[in-house]
Amino acid sequence: MTAPQSPQGAGGAAAPAASAVGAAPALRGLAPDDLEIRLRADESSRVVVLVLYAVAIGWLLVGSIFGDIASFKLHWPDFLTRQGWLTFGRVRTAHLHAVNYGWATAALIGTSVWLLPRLVHTELKGALTALLGGVLFTIGITVGIVGVLLGVNDGMEWLEANRYAAGPFLVIGGGLVGLSLFRTVAARRAQHLYVSVWYILGAFIWFPMLYVVGKWPTWSGVESAAVNWFFAHNVLGFWLTAMSVGAAYYFIPKVLGRPIYSYQLSVIGFWSLALFYSLNGMHHLVGGPIPTWMVTTSIVASVFMFIPVVATGINLHMTVVGRFGALRHSPTLRFVVLGAIAYTAVSLQGSFTALREVNRVTHFTHWTVAHSHVGGYAFVSFVAFGAMYYVVPRLVGHEWPSVRLVRWHFNTVLAGIAIYVIALTWSGVAQGLALLDARLPFQVSVERSIPGLYGRSLGGLILTVGHLIFAYHFWLMVRMPRGATRRTLPPFHEAQPILYTAEADAARRGAPAPAGASAQRRAEGTA
Amino acid sequence: MIPSSLAVIVATAALTLLAAAALAWAWWRGYFDDLDAQSRVIFEPRDWRLERPWESPVDRLERETTYGAPIAPAPGEWGGAA
Repeated sequence: MTAPQSPQGAGGAAAPAASAVGAAPALRGLAPDDLEIRLRADESSRVVVLVLYAVAIGWLLVGSIFGDIASFKLHWPDFLTRQGWLTFGRVRTAHLHAVNYGWATAALIGTSVWLLPRLVHTELKGALTALLGGVLFTIGITVGIVGVLLGVNDGMEWLEANRYAAGPFLVIGGGLVGLSLFRTVAARRAQHLYVSVWYILGAFIWFPMLYVVGKWPTWSGVESAAVNWFFAHNVLGFWLTAMSVGAAYYFIPKVLGRPIYSYQLSVIGFWSLALFYSLNGMHHLVGGPIPTWMVTTSIVASVFMFIPVVATGINLHMTVVGRFGALRHSPTLRFVVLGAIAYTAVSLQGSFTALREVNRVTHFTHWTVAHSHVGGYAFVSFVAFGAMYYVVPRLVGHEWPSVRLVRWHFNTVLAGIAIYVIALTWSGVAQGLALLDARLPFQVSVERSIPGLYGRSLGGLILTVGHLIFAYHFWLMVRMPRGATRRTLPPFHEAQPILYTAEADAARRGAPAPAGASAQRRAEGTA
Repeated sequence: MIPSSLAVIVATAALTLLAAAALAWAWWRGYFDDLDAQSRVIFEPRDWRLERPWESPVDRLERETTYGAPIAPAPGEWGGAA
């Protein structure tokens, strides 16, 4: 492990930077007002984001353990069978809720809360409201998962958390965070809305609508199945994907220092997603008892998703092309670029899987589980990890303490998800082909899938190790000695010494600007 | 008799129409004007000048010519302990 950076570490480039300013009079860093806005933006979201990240990592560990238990049960059916709350149906559902709502949602909301004030050049409005919302949302997730473990659930996949016990916390909590974000955008100082803002705002408009429709208490029978998949599919595209793609559109160009390949394509990508994605969910019910035209429409819409996927894929990948060497230098870029690749892969795979001929083999098999983990983990979680590596140092004021832990984290989660997905995809195809062969008994399809299930458990265990490493590193990060964690001036490498002014420092501390600071700055050419 | 598909049809239509209305509104308000400037809104002058270790000499020179002398990155500049 490397030694923690000293508070002075971030300011180490003071001398050359100052001389650089003199060499380029046209570009002298942030204007004082901009710097003040930046400082306030980061400061305003600091507590909310750190709390949400801590909650997210906690749920990641809990969800990983539940996921491993559920996975073991598929090839060791006698594993932990004495307690009702540890049966497969409950543990698997608890895993899904913990990782999708506890981990991914909290991590991406945290990232959005950090990003939005920066993107609109203002501070977070209603930070306390957002914090309260995050706390209530966490309580809702906890209540929902405990309820699931106790056998109290609403019986709809992805919507098992009880609508009366957990629902109010989730609705009010999410609503308060959304309220804070919309107030922030309403108070924006930026003239332009960057594409990430569209994605984040879209997510916070779509999710409440989806949740209300999904949780409406009157659905039953076939209608319930249709609504179930309307919600379950759209929550991926309109919630997790929207926030993840929005984050990727920020971090990739920001680290590389070049605008995205084609901003026009990003606009097309967002609006085609917004207009057509909601039709997709019914492809989960191919062969089901719902009108054929609905399924067919959904399949057509799924293929239509090539447009936003290709637009986003071209943009994110072409921005990196020619600069893949940057991945060696930037863990954030490593995670986010791999996440973007996984987004393209899982989206195209999803479009193909929606086709009836492919679905005939893959439906009701482990293929679907592998597919969902490419989306939920290799895409969404990788982007969340990358975002956290970028954001947390800027909130706590010092660099991650260990290069080695970052590498171990990356290598373990990459190896884990690769083993997981390859094993289950292969297993799913073998299982599906056996199910379609009328000469074979059902037992054969089970036996053929078992090697893949062992691979799934192995991959899951490696992922859990990676998560433990990441959680330990995060814990080290936030508990570093007070002297090291004290926010340094200038704040961690976002405001370099050349950008730092005594006035901005005073503004950050809420003190009056020192006399003569402006004159000194003008004399140095930084006005 | 209400068809079983009605809920999904109505919800899908609502989402699509909402998106279409938002698109029209954004167009009318000029949110798609000057897309090039929008693509650069995430950058500060400092971003253009940071010395990036992965850049080729040609890229570095081009950046220096356009934006001025490079600035040394701070520790962990690129996100995570690299």
